Amino acid sequence: MKTNDMNQVAVHAIFILLAAFCLIPFVLLFMSSVSSESSIVNNGYSFWPKEFSLEAYTYLWSQKSAMFNSYGVTILITLVGTFVGLLISALLAYPLSRRDLPMRGILSFLVFFTLLFNGGLVPTYLIYTEVFHMKNTLMALIVPGLLTNGFFILLIRTFFANSIPVQIIESAYIDGASEFKIFIRMILPLSLPILATIGLMLTINYWNDWFNGLIYITEPQLFSIQNLLNRMLVNIQFLQQNNLGGQNMAVNLPMNAVRMAMAVVGILPLILIYPFFQKYFVKGLTIGAVK
Amino acid sequence: MQRKSKAAFPLASLLALCLLLSACGGSNNAGNSSGSPESSGSAPTASGSSSNDKELELTLAFMGIGNMKEAGLVQEEISKITKAKINATVKLMPIDIGAWTQQVNLLLAGNEPVDLLVTSSFFNYSSQVAKGQLLPLDDLIAKHAPTIQDTMEAAIFNSTKIGGQMYGVPSIRDTAADHGISARKDLMDKYNLSFDNVKTYADLDSVFQKIKDNEPGVYPLVQRSQALTVASEIVRGHIDSLGDTPGVLIIENQDLKIVNLYETQLYKDALQLARKWYQAGYIMPDAATTQEGNNSLIKAGKGFSYLSNMKPGFAAQESTINGREMVTASIVPPISTSDSGTGFMISIPKNTQDADRAAQLLNLLYTDKDVANLIANGVEGKHYVDAGNGQIKAPEGGSNYVFNQWEVGNNALTKVWQGTSPDIWEQTKEFNKNAIFSKALGFSFDSSPVKTEVAAVLNVNNQYKAGLESGTIDPSKLDEFVRKLKDAGLDKIVAEKQKQLDEWAQANNVQ
Repeated sequence: MKTNDMNQVAVHAIFILLAAFCLIPFVLLFMSSVSSESSIVNNGYSFWPKEFSLEAYTYLWSQKSAMFNSYGVTILITLVGTFVGLLISALLAYPLSRRDLPMRGILSFLVFFTLLFNGGLVPTYLIYTEVFHMKNTLMALIVPGLLTNGFFILLIRTFFANSIPVQIIESAYIDGASEFKIFIRMILPLSLPILATIGLMLTINYWNDWFNGLIYITEPQLFSIQNLLNRMLVNIQFLQQNNLGGQNMAVNLPMNAVRMAMAVVGILPLILIYPFFQKYFVKGLTIGAVK
Repeated sequence: MQRKSKAAFPLASLLALCLLLSACGGSNNAGNSSGSPESSGSAPTASGSSSNDKELELTLAFMGIGNMKEAGLVQEEISKITKAKINATVKLMPIDIGAWTQQVNLLLAGNEPVDLLVTSSFFNYSSQVAKGQLLPLDDLIAKHAPTIQDTMEAAIFNSTKIGGQMYGVPSIRDTAADHGISARKDLMDKYNLSFDNVKTYADLDSVFQKIKDNEPGVYPLVQRSQALTVASEIVRGHIDSLGDTPGVLIIENQDLKIVNLYETQLYKDALQLARKWYQAGYIMPDAATTQEGNNSLIKAGKGFSYLSNMKPGFAAQESTINGREMVTASIVPPISTSDSGTGFMISIPKNTQDADRAAQLLNLLYTDKDVANLIANGVEGKHYVDAGNGQIKAPEGGSNYVFNQWEVGNNALTKVWQGTSPDIWEQTKEFNKNAIFSKALGFSFDSSPVKTEVAAVLNVNNQYKAGLESGTIDPSKLDEFVRKLKDAGLDKIVAEKQKQLDEWAQANNVQ
């Protein structure tokens, strides 16, 4: 009994420590965002700033048209991308999970193949811009994310194949349900855990995506929030590290606190929705992983 | 068990194949892009018809470093002028500097319409020319923009030539730089300090000491960044660094002999001085690692002065950026280095829809007052307001169009900002003309033959440079630094640079 308690304490201590390691950077991030600029420059980042200031958030508020615009772009692509992505993935995964699908091996292999290989940046870029003319459109932020999720499809397929007994499908068939009806009324409701998991992953992917924005978007009104943030950081980094022949950049770089505040604003919505997905998340992940 | 091992072989071979393919992918890419010149060079130039019957939308791609929110408004106003003059509208395409290399590579790999593009020796100008991504401009300029060359120093104008043809027109800016110190005026006045007796960097001691003694919490000297260290600022006025790889020319020698900067007396003395200042407490203890730049340090009241390159009107510019009034003193007279011309240019990429029309727009950027002013300062009443005397100032509440003037076109035609001397551009012209020109003006080093060595040297640099040059590490470590640089292949880079420079000099009749 005694040793059991000790173990319990040790395990708890370790996990409390690990949790703290994850949380502390966020606390520092938040505290920096409410520090005054001069206290950051003079004393560095600290958990309890000498001077509190909401200057950074006031500044962001003064930029609200750009901020809200980027937020709007991000929310729109996340909603549309997650919904369409989930639908496409499930629609592809379901037939692949059925043992009576002809050429099932080849089709599965094709999906698997995209996990290992892709066309490379330049050809991909040329196809999207010159064949589909997606440069500077919202489609450029949505479509690439829809088509690169072979991993998700395999996860969903595994779930369909292993967690839903074939007998259920057969009985529904006997009751006169069409294939489509079986999919909508039986399969999807039974697969809530995996759908929620994939949904959350897609949401995170779309929310955090800055790369597509970086290469396909040059119009500021189409910048997503992460793209805006990333551009700001990369620009600052570039100007700090490079000496363009000593050319003086007359640029007012955003202050430290503003960068922190932008990061806070960028992650807040994800933190807020995460608890609602969490209970499915663990289940969905383990199901996909064990099999 | 048996099944498992059976499955392992195809998987392993798949992995191997995957690695092999991705390895090939890299070289394939290079092959593709270098294969393009024959297809590109001919198409747009061949259509030599200079009729402007068809209305076009010309795209101008540039580095959008400032605030580009209202670029659309500026674009409308410019289009009104260009529509009347050359029957074309203009589309401004600002690209973030951090994304510049990648986005421009992709733009030039495809066929998206880009008619004018900012190019720079800092951003692969020579390799863009080698790949045939830029059009030769000599004929186009002779035909559509014959007066451009009168707007700048001939040496600068001609310095963009590669293989006898020019592929870019330098922007009109300060193409020379003097070097010196900028300091806070309030503290200078408070302690009755002046730079009048400062002839060399070493003379700054007494000024720094005064600040150190009387202003606790204010560091007398701060660095601009990790790359722009105290010692590097001290030597920069004397050398032409020929790109950011080792091997420099000493400007005063006026020769074409490349030396290893780190073994020169000049560099050793600079390190000694930086060390002395550091030990005296003039430089921040964490100067080698801090991420704060000079502007934020001065703004926050933590710094007193910094060394940098300068130009006419520099004090006014720095006062605006720092939000405090600054005074400046020039210590090393102006020089013009190899990249003075090629630093920022405008080129016509092979993607252009109509090279002739693009050249006409290029001409307007250098000769039309209204176009030059619109692109540099934006729309009157919105992005600037009249301040009397023909000068302008920022509107209340700031502007949503802040352009970095030095990038494009003829800035001498633009309206001058309040606080800057009205004859700033005459001063600049004189300044540019009187600089000591590097013998290698126009040479740009192609580091690809020594790529490995450059990367290895960079690693050694990261280890020592910021520490030594900020005075944090004792200069006795210099020998170790130089030894490691040599191990990393520094001599090979210097030899390659010398070889390319000699070839360049021969081709361009420079001795």
